[in-house]
Amino acid sequence: MSNTTLEQASGPREPLVAGRSLGQDAWLRLRRNRAAVASAVVLLLLALAGIVGPWIHAHPYDRIYPQYVRAPASLEAYPKEDAIVPAFESALGRARVDIGEIELSGSTVRAPVSDDEALDPRIVRYIDRSDLFSNARLEDEEGNEMMEGATSAFMVADVQRLRFVFGTDANGRDLLTRILIGIRISLAIGVLASMMALLLGVTYGAIAGYLGGRVDNLMMRVVDVLYSLPFIFFVILLVVFFGRNFVLIFIAIGCTEWLDMARIVRGQTLTIKRQEYVQAAEALGVSDAGIVRRHIIPNALGPVVVFVTLLVPKAILLESLLSFLGLGVQEPLTSLGLLIAEGAANMRGAAWLLIYPAVTLTAILFALNFLGDGLRDALDPKDR
Amino acid sequence: MTQESILSVRDLHVEFETNDGMVHAVRGIDLDVKPGETVAIVGESGSGKSQTTMALMGLLASNGRARGSATYRGQELIGLSERKLNRIRGEKITMIFQEPMTSLDPLYRIGRQIAEPLVFHRGMSRKAARERVIELLELVGIPDPARRVDAYPHELSGGQRQRVMIAMALANDPDMLIADEPTTALDVTIQAQILALLAELQRKLGMAIVFITHDLGIVRRFADRVYVMRYGEVVEEGETSVLFDTPKHPYTMELLAAEPTGRKAPPPLEAPILLEGRDVEVVFGGGGGWFSGPEAEIRAVDRISVALHKGQTIGVVGESGSGKSTLGRALLRLLPSEGTVRFEGADISAADKRAMRPMRKELQLVFQDPFGSLSPRMTIGQVVTEGLKVHEPQLPARERDRRAIEALDEVGLDPAMRNRYPHEFSGGQRQRIAIARAMILKPKVVVLDEPTSALDRSVQKQIVDLLRDLQKAHDLSYLFISHDLAVVRAMADHIVVMKQGRIVEEGPTDAIFDHPREAYTQALMAAAIDGTPFRQQTGAFAAGLID
Repeated sequence: MSNTTLEQASGPREPLVAGRSLGQDAWLRLRRNRAAVASAVVLLLLALAGIVGPWIHAHPYDRIYPQYVRAPASLEAYPKEDAIVPAFESALGRARVDIGEIELSGSTVRAPVSDDEALDPRIVRYIDRSDLFSNARLEDEEGNEMMEGATSAFMVADVQRLRFVFGTDANGRDLLTRILIGIRISLAIGVLASMMALLLGVTYGAIAGYLGGRVDNLMMRVVDVLYSLPFIFFVILLVVFFGRNFVLIFIAIGCTEWLDMARIVRGQTLTIKRQEYVQAAEALGVSDAGIVRRHIIPNALGPVVVFVTLLVPKAILLESLLSFLGLGVQEPLTSLGLLIAEGAANMRGAAWLLIYPAVTLTAILFALNFLGDGLRDALDPKDR
Repeated sequence: MTQESILSVRDLHVEFETNDGMVHAVRGIDLDVKPGETVAIVGESGSGKSQTTMALMGLLASNGRARGSATYRGQELIGLSERKLNRIRGEKITMIFQEPMTSLDPLYRIGRQIAEPLVFHRGMSRKAARERVIELLELVGIPDPARRVDAYPHELSGGQRQRVMIAMALANDPDMLIADEPTTALDVTIQAQILALLAELQRKLGMAIVFITHDLGIVRRFADRVYVMRYGEVVEEGETSVLFDTPKHPYTMELLAAEPTGRKAPPPLEAPILLEGRDVEVVFGGGGGWFSGPEAEIRAVDRISVALHKGQTIGVVGESGSGKSTLGRALLRLLPSEGTVRFEGADISAADKRAMRPMRKELQLVFQDPFGSLSPRMTIGQVVTEGLKVHEPQLPARERDRRAIEALDEVGLDPAMRNRYPHEFSGGQRQRIAIARAMILKPKVVVLDEPTSALDRSVQKQIVDLLRDLQKAHDLSYLFISHDLAVVRAMADHIVVMKQGRIVEEGPTDAIFDHPREAYTQALMAAAIDGTPFRQQTGAFAAGLID
């Protein structure tokens, strides 16, 4: 019983009483729904990770580590202790010098090298080229820089320790960064495509529903015609005409998803139009645009908000489908759908490539759907 | 009245668990019903009168709980298992509801729906049940019952559906019939027929009737004993005649005095005509979709002429579907219509939306449903000032706010509430907001479309008083549309009686009320104003005058 009777309250003039709008009511109800709140928090964290993560994470998303192709996920740092000496040896082998015993102490490797001629200082490049080592230098016995023309010296290099928490992909790129970028792209496409659908659908549906009659008939037949276009075919056409492009994907998804939105909003508008407050506005002389803007759209927004939260996962899934088919985002950029496609290809040898992106996508979809359900419950006026 | 009561309720409580805490809807009431007696429970909305009977029938909403005791012939009903309860409800105690449009399942033929309790409770065969159904339909005065038994609910009118509901309730010869506002949704003449039918059936079948209503006029003519409820408590009970003649509790007195009183004097003869419609005609239907054939046209308003003088109130009365609301909207040019409409002498019948806009300020409309006529997403401050934004867009925000305060003050609302939303107000308050929205523009003509029909009697009276005060203060002219003759009599100085889109009769209020000429007007008056108890009316009236 939220409508408190205020009949008695009309005594002396009080300061303005703040009201509780339907939106605030819904918000209170939503806050009581634990699953929805948890989903919102998860979504917020994932979105934050997607936006900020790639900047602060150690590995750029397009950096390839040839030595670490398909490195399994591990909390330990790479390279593993027993892999350092052989790697150093093989790298040094290319310098074509005699190598003494390689010793490893802490994070530096040290090996005596000698040659018949004077050592060429440029051979450090062979070591630096490897992802495992950095700051390679030639030193004499005291640890000073090697004298020019010396025939024997110590090759010293720091072991570069890298962490690949989620492992690396088939090209040797860090999976975690790629997932973060994937979240960013997938969410961006989901949100942008939904916004586009929202904008187009709400305007179109509200106008068609409010004007009614022949205009409505014509506008909705256009929607029907667009409905009959096969989505994939439509996207392929777009890609063929305009080339593969990030913007194109959300335009393609938005272009197909606004049709549902337009129908929902039109239906809502048809019922709202007959409400007496709309007739009252007409009797006040409010213009058509004013009625649509001030009365129809705000009152139709409840179901629309719910539909949008369910539309975002749908758009993400569609993007995944497109990327899976190779019509979507282009390398080295990536999206969750693309990552899953790659993971599926490497499923047997490198299961983590499939598992982590899939878990992330599932988490996002779950969260969005729970949030959508929560919103529907919160906004449902029948519950009042 | 020495007989044992068949139903006795002792200290019944009903509570609902809601988001805002426990709501105590019924607070310990006692109630007795004796065989063959008609007991009325009277109260305004929210008084707990319906919840009392819902608790008896085990029909409370899932968040509701009943405490206390209610015995039917010695059998405790509260807390009875569903299965045992089913043996009593639907067989011994049956119920009819307010809304005949929604209490029948639209998917099944009415014969099948009436037969359901027969087959279920008595194990009758379908064939025998059908015989009985036809008999019942005849009993409740459905014409041609052998054919109508196969009709679907949508093929029947509202009054006929309520008759079907009654037939369904009578199917098992109940001891007791609970009627929850069974006539509120019906027109007055049909209401009278249904009540006469119930009275006659009671005489024939000898069951007890528990009658829930907010309408004291019905109670006076129908009930033996009355319980008056308020805030979940019985404030007074007694024999109908005693209670009506010598009410003891102040609330009962207030209810009895709630009938709007007073008469309106006609405006001076030389008052100019403000709004005039000549041969106004509104036709619905026609056109149809691209693939459908020609549709039947409905002539909602059929060549009607009215002239509203300055300071006059014309009451438009008629049953639902008589076209009275359509006429009001056509005169305001909110609907496409034929014929001429003049406002202050200027012909506005050809004016389009743009041309009408400046005139909207002068021609305002107040609706019936105070819940539907305010946008739930706007604060009442925004609702009230919307018209100002259209007609005086140059007004600074502060001035608009001042005007809103003024308008709310005028309709008796606290302007401090203007940041609240409509759902936080009661029905009467919302109607005041709707009136403030119209009044802030200082209109000359206001069409009032059943402004009091959705309100409780006592609130109705306040709104009628408010409307009258506003009329005096601003020299307004009203077109007052209503089916409630008591209110119309108090408000209007000129009456137009409509039926099926035509004017049946018109004239000064007193002349129409005291000496109605047409048969239709007479029937209308008899149904609404007449004080004879239904039981003394002839049976022919109940069965014969089928809508």
